[in-house]
Amino acid sequence: MTNDGSKNTGNQTRSKLWVDILVFVAFLITMDPRGSGLAIHEWLSLSMLAAVTVHVLLNWDWVTEITRRFLAKIGSLTRVNYILNWLLFIDGTLIMISGIMISEIALPYLGIQLPRGFAWRRLHDMSANLMLLLLGVHTALHWNWIVNTFNRYIFQPVGRLFAPGVKKDAPQ
Amino acid sequence: MKTLGRIFIILFAFVLLSGLMVIAVNASGVGTQAFGDGAPRPEFRPQAGEQGELQFRPEGERQERGGERGGGNGAFMLFGMIKNIVVIGFFVVVIAWPRSLAKKAKRAPVAS
Repeated sequence: MTNDGSKNTGNQTRSKLWVDILVFVAFLITMDPRGSGLAIHEWLSLSMLAAVTVHVLLNWDWVTEITRRFLAKIGSLTRVNYILNWLLFIDGTLIMISGIMISEIALPYLGIQLPRGFAWRRLHDMSANLMLLLLGVHTALHWNWIVNTFNRYIFQPVGRLFAPGVKKDAPQ
Repeated sequence: MKTLGRIFIILFAFVLLSGLMVIAVNASGVGTQAFGDGAPRPEFRPQAGEQGELQFRPEGERQERGGERGGGNGAFMLFGMIKNIVVIGFFVVVIAWPRSLAKKAKRAPVAS
């Protein structure tokens, strides 16, 4: 989300990368409740709300800038990206609220009992499948950023550690 | 303070959307078919004596359900994760790869 609108410092980009990795791994775990177990699925999903909020906060400048310029002249890819991000937000909200409505562990643990309906269960499944597709497109549209940032903040620093001729203990 | 305000805006949008979804589902009527609150749970499996009755429940099914409610299953998790990564990878290959190729082709000098 670095094009069209936001200027990121190195620290901000690094934070974005780690938050994105965290959200992605949490998403993969929560997408499979049979594997992780229902308790991890529910608690991790609820905590993802905080991680996603941080993700939006870190990209706040981009969001506000494109919201302001949406009807003006902006690149078509940026427009597609913006709409896709809104769809992700709406779908994420649907997953969260339907998950809360069918919660079997987290909400009862907090002493909250909600009437359960079949519709929420189906909505939860459908919105989760849709989220996987939307996230696939979102990842693909940001692939260059992902590759560049991984290279800059993970692969290159790790590569330097093992590069010949670089002494780790050299006096500074 | 600015960050707090932004968090408030994000949460407000979340709550607003959630409220609209709850209203929409309740208004459509499908959300009221509850099986909680003492209402009898509908039976999906054929009753005894009906055609197609399962004489026994396969072990795998019980384990599967137990895995969902209980501690989970490492093999299921690994399989699920790989499956989801493959789906996301598919989109990356289909969308990002052609874009990258087109960019490279644009950059390459045109032979005269």
